[in-house]
Amino acid sequence: MKTKGSGAAWRYVMATLRPYAPLVALSILLSAGSVVLTLYIPIRIGNIIDLIIGRGNVDFDGILPILWQIAAMAAATGVMQWVSGVINNRVAYTVVRDVRCAAFRRIQTLPLSYIDSHPSGEIVSRIIADADKFSDGLLLGFTQLFTGVLTILGTLFIMMRIDFRIALAVVVLTPLSIFVAKFIAQHTYSMFKLQSESRGDMTSYIDEMITGAKTVKAYGRAASCMDEFDVYNEKLAKYSLRAIFFSSLTNPATRFVNSVVYAVVTLTGALTAIGGGISVGMLTSFLSYANQYAKPFNEISGVVTEFQGALASAARLYEIVNESPEPPDGEVTLADVDGNVAFDSVSFSYTPSRPLIKNVDIDVKAGEHIAIVGPTGCGKTTLINLLMRFYDVTGGKITVDGSDIRDVTRRSLRSSYGMVLQDTWLRAGTVRENIKLGRPDATDEEMIAAAKAVHADGFIRQLPHGYDTVLGESGEGLSQGQRQLLSISRVMLSLPPILILDEATSSIDTRTERRISRAFEKMMTGRTTFIVAHRLSTIRGSDKILVMRDGDIIEQGKHDELLAANGFYAALWNSQFAAVEK
Amino acid sequence: MKRVLQYLRHYAVESVLGPLFKLLEATFELFIPLVVASIVDVGIENGDRPYIAKMVGLMVLLGIVGLICSVSAQYFAAKASVGSVSMLRRALFEHIQTLDYTTLDELGTSTMVTRLTSDINQVETGINLTLRLLLRSPFVVVGAAVMAFTIDAKAATVFVIAIPILAAVVFGVMLVTLPLYKKVQGALDRVLSAARENLTGVRVLRAFGREDDEVERFETRADALVKMQKFVGRISALLNPMTFVIINCAAVALVYIGALRVDEGIIETGEVIALYNYMSQILVELIKLANLIINITKSVASAGRVEAVIDMEPERTGTNADFDTSSEYAVEFDHVSLRYKNGGADAVEDITFKARPGDVVGIIGGTGSGKTSLVNLIPAFYSATSGHVRVFGVDVDGADRDALRRRVAVVAQGAPIFSGTIRDNVKWGSIDADDGDVMAAITTAQCADVVAAKEHGLDENIERGGVNLSGGQRQRLSIARALAKRADILILDDSSSALDFTTDAALRRALGALEPKPTMFIVSQRTSSIEHADLIIVLDGGRCVGQGKHDELLLACPVYREIYELQGGGGI
Repeated sequence: MKTKGSGAAWRYVMATLRPYAPLVALSILLSAGSVVLTLYIPIRIGNIIDLIIGRGNVDFDGILPILWQIAAMAAATGVMQWVSGVINNRVAYTVVRDVRCAAFRRIQTLPLSYIDSHPSGEIVSRIIADADKFSDGLLLGFTQLFTGVLTILGTLFIMMRIDFRIALAVVVLTPLSIFVAKFIAQHTYSMFKLQSESRGDMTSYIDEMITGAKTVKAYGRAASCMDEFDVYNEKLAKYSLRAIFFSSLTNPATRFVNSVVYAVVTLTGALTAIGGGISVGMLTSFLSYANQYAKPFNEISGVVTEFQGALASAARLYEIVNESPEPPDGEVTLADVDGNVAFDSVSFSYTPSRPLIKNVDIDVKAGEHIAIVGPTGCGKTTLINLLMRFYDVTGGKITVDGSDIRDVTRRSLRSSYGMVLQDTWLRAGTVRENIKLGRPDATDEEMIAAAKAVHADGFIRQLPHGYDTVLGESGEGLSQGQRQLLSISRVMLSLPPILILDEATSSIDTRTERRISRAFEKMMTGRTTFIVAHRLSTIRGSDKILVMRDGDIIEQGKHDELLAANGFYAALWNSQFAAVEK
Repeated sequence: MKRVLQYLRHYAVESVLGPLFKLLEATFELFIPLVVASIVDVGIENGDRPYIAKMVGLMVLLGIVGLICSVSAQYFAAKASVGSVSMLRRALFEHIQTLDYTTLDELGTSTMVTRLTSDINQVETGINLTLRLLLRSPFVVVGAAVMAFTIDAKAATVFVIAIPILAAVVFGVMLVTLPLYKKVQGALDRVLSAARENLTGVRVLRAFGREDDEVERFETRADALVKMQKFVGRISALLNPMTFVIINCAAVALVYIGALRVDEGIIETGEVIALYNYMSQILVELIKLANLIINITKSVASAGRVEAVIDMEPERTGTNADFDTSSEYAVEFDHVSLRYKNGGADAVEDITFKARPGDVVGIIGGTGSGKTSLVNLIPAFYSATSGHVRVFGVDVDGADRDALRRRVAVVAQGAPIFSGTIRDNVKWGSIDADDGDVMAAITTAQCADVVAAKEHGLDENIERGGVNLSGGQRQRLSIARALAKRADILILDDSSSALDFTTDAALRRALGALEPKPTMFIVSQRTSSIEHADLIIVLDGGRCVGQGKHDELLLACPVYREIYELQGGGGI
């Protein structure tokens, strides 16, 4: 299974990279060129050294052309490095953009069930962090791996050519520094774990106490807080010291190993040179190769882990892109909706194993007001999900003005509804953008009229920049009630033929609520309206009350009929009175 | 920086020894090219094998001594940075405890947490790196140049020219790209928020059929990001090629001058090799130095943010603690107004009332009418902008804050329950409370059934924020916590909103039966919670629009009558 998943991820990676194949090839070619030249320069320096023999014995005619050659090669390498760097950046960033946009576009077509069952933070982190990791790891990792391997092979080749025995010494000894680095990393891991655990403890203590800072103050608990803090702080200091110290050993230790390798190369090289097996110039070149040789190894071992991470990220992104979208849209466009809504033996369940709604029939005539009541979690939200076609029924059908809502376009269906939800959602943007969300082309006059109608105009004008005040992502700076007023203005402005009001005024204080109730009445007149409410008194005048319990509609009728039936609704109604009398 | 230095001074020895050992190590490293030069010029030239062996032995020895030095340096640096930062963290946490509510509001929780965690950690990294590397890198750069001078002054002029050019390129590229990367981060944040909004608002957006606009919005932001990234990428991609070219050109110049000097018989071949080696050492160190400086700049900024909090004025306190519990009035408000810092209007305006000891005072009004602001003035959580608040005859403005708050217990709206046992939480009210006192408080708060239902009773563990309790249970537990304080004044700020009518009524009865009887302030949106109060204050937009008893207000105060009718009087 795992291999199959990563196979699909690989294919996905290849598919996203395909348009950039020529660019990637060019970049590889350029970096190969720059590696070759980079490796060739020390040899030429060595050649020059060999022409500098001693006083009065310097072959300037030999040296000068080589010097010009080195300068030219350096310039060429520089240009190639820069161009391939720019290409790499370009491809990496563009691929991320492509992948992100593809995922985002797919999300717009995914059924709500997918979005409801995945925390938004998780999806966002796939689009943002995983996309970044994907390109960093795969693309930059790939070029790094490529140049790294090429450098190692090239160095090895040249060293072998110069002197086989010294090269052997380098090849045998170099892995030592990698082992030392690995060894230290493995042994400091446990200390890092302790450090990050105690840091986590410290952070959560700090977070709790700072969140409760006012309570700490009100109860005069500062002194005992300090005692608790000290315990965490001392523990953190103890583990931090260990972790920081031991992990900082890596550098000195590998540097030491490298200097031993360097010494051995010097020794064997110098001894060989005495025997005439190698010139001084070549020894110089050799020493600079010995210095470079270890570096790509450390890089490559890092690249491999990054590679694996990148592939995992690609798999996570692929999961979104590969998710099946909503069933295709209907053909018909709903227009001039009267507002006749009917449930025709509708069944529905979120998971097939737990049936929720069974064979429900509801018939709503245009302009009727339907109340939905029932205890928390009884499935009122489910009903809204079905009306708006956020979810599709599993049996039967829902019709609007006689057409099955699966035969009409989602957009025309949804734009026939105006919805005010209990959890108001505001976008990070100006008040104006928020109110005009449903009708971006509305004029300012219309917008202000809508805001006035729901008594939101007053508080909006008191905001620092009125309608141009920028609201934060969670609408901070506004009270829950004000947020609700804004989302009511939004619906007021677009004023569709059918309304869904889900606890629309739950956070608005009693007096304001009464004031806007007139606006609500005006808005609801002649419009089919579904009202979800806790306070039964507000819905007693409805044309029909749907009583829900455990996901199903158990009673429906007018207030008086339901009271007379003396069922669940009557019990709910009476329990509220009983509570007040106590 | 002065605070950081002040704590670093406690580790003066470590702070000096760390860099010192580092410099020693660097010095040993600088000797290596010289040793290699003498191997070439003496050992190979003369075919002196024992000399070569001796010199290689010296190289290894230098390596070992260097290792010992750098390990010591790392240890001292770690010790000094961890130690001083842990003192700094403590000082910051302690100082936050002394800030007043206004300052706490202004700072905000997340800012304070960030200062205490990531900013402090950044300071730690900064100190550690500074002690380890800040001296080392310039030392190696300058050292390499100096060593070059000892070999040959004329050849060394190449260093004098190359080093500033290299430094200019390395620092130039970093300085130019650093602010640009910040902008890139900003652009990325905008992409992120577009994605997050789309998901959190999915129902509303789809209801309004905004999918296409959403895609456009997202893609615009993604494009803006790419454009910026490419721009920065082009600049930062310059760093490696440019330094490569400069170093190699310098090497060419060096070798040429070296060749001239060898020809003149001033230096030997091995020394040319040494000069070449010094040149390569410089580049590595300059890049390290540039990265280090970026890191240190961040740390200095973090240190500045930490110090800004430590430098904030602690809460002002008075000295007067002569509360006279036999005075005629427990709480008096005399034309009190409060305007929050940065607040556009008064939160409460010109409030005057008097409450006798043992009175029950009800405070009612809509959201944002100033109820909480009013009661927060009693324990001087905020100071009145004008007018006087007196508690048992003492003007709270000049009162000893600790003494004042021992007399006032507040059940604040949404006050957190802390992690720990139920007992721990109730004992916040009084550290000396025994189990009897704890249970008494719990019983009065109608919480006894909650404790009884828990497997471990008082020892039951409460998770952070009380997440394993229901809203009503949390409210009752925080009432119990306040009751354990046995204060003369008890303030319940909308503390029964999550309780059902029956429990609320029982709670009010139990509170009424408390002995000795505290002066009680009950803030509520429900008239039923306060209708039996000795005094009801009706607030509307921060102003008092009526005060008196229930019956009087029904006649005299239209706002009160309206609330009453909308709730109890006119149905449900």
